[in-house]
Amino acid sequence: MIDFDPSSFGLAHTYQKEDKDEINTLALPSAPQVIYKSLNGPTQINGGNKLNNFKHGTTTLGFVFKEGILLAVDSRASMGSFLSSEQVRKVIEINEYLLGTMAGGAADCQYWLAYLANHCRTYELKNGSKLSVAAASKFLQGILIGYRNSGLSMGCMIAGTDTTGQHLYYIDNDGMRLKGDIFSVGSGSTYAYGVLDNHYKYEMSLNEAVELGIRAIYHATHRDTASGGVVRVYHIHQNGWTKVHDGIDVVDLHYQFAQQKGLVGDGDEAKQRLF
Amino acid sequence: MSGIFEYNGGSIVGMKGKNCIAMACDRRFGQQMSTITTNYQKVFKIQDNILLALSGLNTDIHTFYALMEKEINLYNLKENRKMKPTTFANLVASALYERRFGPFFVTPIVAGLENGKPILATYDSIGCKSDLDDFQVGGTGGNYIYGACEAFFKPDMNPEELEEVIGQSLVSGCDRDALSGWGGVVYVLTEQKLTVKILKTKQT
Repeated sequence: MIDFDPSSFGLAHTYQKEDKDEINTLALPSAPQVIYKSLNGPTQINGGNKLNNFKHGTTTLGFVFKEGILLAVDSRASMGSFLSSEQVRKVIEINEYLLGTMAGGAADCQYWLAYLANHCRTYELKNGSKLSVAAASKFLQGILIGYRNSGLSMGCMIAGTDTTGQHLYYIDNDGMRLKGDIFSVGSGSTYAYGVLDNHYKYEMSLNEAVELGIRAIYHATHRDTASGGVVRVYHIHQNGWTKVHDGIDVVDLHYQFAQQKGLVGDGDEAKQRLF
Repeated sequence: MSGIFEYNGGSIVGMKGKNCIAMACDRRFGQQMSTITTNYQKVFKIQDNILLALSGLNTDIHTFYALMEKEINLYNLKENRKMKPTTFANLVASALYERRFGPFFVTPIVAGLENGKPILATYDSIGCKSDLDDFQVGGTGGNYIYGACEAFFKPDMNPEELEEVIGQSLVSGCDRDALSGWGGVVYVLTEQKLTVKILKTKQT
């Protein structure tokens, strides 16, 4: 009879015990104290963190193609309807061969991806070889399952390269981990999927892939109020990752795409003169 | 982004100048986080010398405008004369209060020229009129536009300056509001003419 100890499945307090003897550790949020079971609604721990009800206001996307993986993100941060920033970096450079995208709570994504970076480096030093993308994403999933129902908000993609090739994973705060070829995450993802699904081919060249990523993000920023700012594009290949575009203003893209179609881009295309 | 005034989003601003008035509005029609069209009209010409700007729930913008259009048409037919801007400003207040216990979810701004003198009035959704200020804002982006207005505004500007200032204030304000923007329109009314300009703004 195997003695099943639930604490070995990555509940938060286990991590505190493990890290006691490491010198430079990142402080961990304290373990859940109060577990509230209700008849209707999910089990909530510490009240489910109702005070900070962040929504996934963003558009991020990633897809696998013959030359590796392309990630494209917007750069808008909003608190409700207030735009707090148009210059946020939503691709987090975990290390030279792994990238993570941010959607949902910015603090949650930044913190836990930095924690993952710490873990990857420690593994590399202890074992002499780099952590695979599959293992890195699984490690993050383990953490997030431990904090399930405490109100973390994260919808991120882990993309990277290892000895078996380039891989793309989707991880979220419910503990979901999915391997896939095309993902788009955030409030603008529905608009991005429409463009992405229309023109995606595995055999695309790098230029075509970059163009597709930019277009999909642009369309999402136009329709979704919580997405905007600039488009940042990264390419992951067998030698690591490259930043293809650091920030293309979506406003410029709007008027550029309109001009390519012979339009002005000011909302009066049907010439209805509603003013 | 809850609340009935935040459902559609949108921003308006009105300013007084020297013998002229200006109104500006954004052009977004959205449903919560999704943008439906970018050419929705929020400023209406009630009469040659009266403009009505409305922000709030778009269905009520349309209905309230239609109600005011009906009122002024009937007035013209019954009294056989044009309505004075101050009279219209009062009419808006009482029309709103008529619906005190089931209000129109709009915040109107009325602007007009009465014998060359600029009139600007704003209301809450149940008809409290406020007509002593030189500029007024409304809508989800209103507070952000206030900041820009306070910085750029000076009294007794001529029409060209006023157009520039109100355009800049609207754009700066809407850039910080997720629910407003997607184009802008500026109306400048003088004794001689009404000029309408479309602003080239962020479409995001």
